Amino acid sequence: MSGAVDEGGGGAAVGRAAAADEAGAAPSRPPPAGSVDGRLGRDRLVLGVQRAVGRLLAPVWVPLLVVLMRYRMGWRIQRAEVVRREYRDLVAAGGPILVCANHLTLVDSALVAWALGSPAWYLAHYAALPWNVPERRNFTESIGSRVLVWLMKCVPVTRGGDRAEVAAVLGRLTHLLVRGETVLLFPEGGRSRSGRVDEESATYGVGRLLGSVPGCRVLCVYVRGERQEGFSDLPARNQRFRVCCETLRPTSRWTGLRGARDVSQQIVRTLIRLEQQHFDDRQ
Amino acid sequence: MSEADVMTKVVGILSPYAKNGDALAQVGPTTHILDDLKVNSARLVDVVLAFEDEFGIEIADDDVDSVNTVGDAVRLISSKL
Repeated sequence: MSGAVDEGGGGAAVGRAAAADEAGAAPSRPPPAGSVDGRLGRDRLVLGVQRAVGRLLAPVWVPLLVVLMRYRMGWRIQRAEVVRREYRDLVAAGGPILVCANHLTLVDSALVAWALGSPAWYLAHYAALPWNVPERRNFTESIGSRVLVWLMKCVPVTRGGDRAEVAAVLGRLTHLLVRGETVLLFPEGGRSRSGRVDEESATYGVGRLLGSVPGCRVLCVYVRGERQEGFSDLPARNQRFRVCCETLRPTSRWTGLRGARDVSQQIVRTLIRLEQQHFDDRQ
Repeated sequence: MSEADVMTKVVGILSPYAKNGDALAQVGPTTHILDDLKVNSARLVDVVLAFEDEFGIEIADDDVDSVNTVGDAVRLISSKL
């Protein structure tokens, strides 16, 4: 699933939401439905319902997804225990976690989640199963795919779309992170056309999101099939994947858009370093 | 600095990011940055920061949302000079 989040004018809406939370003010009556606060309230309610239904059906869809990947497609993840240990430690420490990964196929979100935890562990730690942000146009062909996307902790976005919509998506992701849930994003936006992590393709929504969630840790994850040369819709069958990760708490001496760009670039450079490590280990 | 000078500098900053050469050749105040020039929306932050550096100004996040056309950019920048 492609998890692009283009940056947009999300700062104002997010800032207002954060200020309202900090003030702890309880409105005497519900805000107008079309207002920012009204929309945010509705978004949170919808996310809550989505999470609850997904959690209820998780004993079915989580193991089923792994069975499909493992036995139907023949995929294997090598040395997953190393990254799973690091992720478990991060989760145990508490607080928001943003997972940032490289992007080569449409199922990278599922692969990364599988690399980070087993189905049984996720059933006991459902908040640790990452929310992800797929490109809306990839999943609107049928009602079935839309239902699945909704069930599987997805917050769709239209890449390059209306900035107000992107801002709303950033607001939802901020709410999820502040709530202590994990979110998965691909800092490059779409799948890498060159087959390698490209700093020039970096989008800055990641940096803007981190600016809205103080104390958020970033887990950079690099996962790639041994025979994956470039980008594709799906990895080849019977593919073996290698995975590596690194945790960071990016900071910047700048604020605003400049700070967001700086932080996003730090994350992309970490992914580039992990990628080099991946290829070095193969030799 | 006149608005014409600002316009020239704005177009110069946008040029490397514009994917539609035809629209760039006929650029004017009503030229839409994303829809006409086909600037990647992911690069808008780079464009805005380039405006800041070129003109020595600060552009707030809220102001970014109001910039849709080249003319919007010119007016915003001129208001801060």
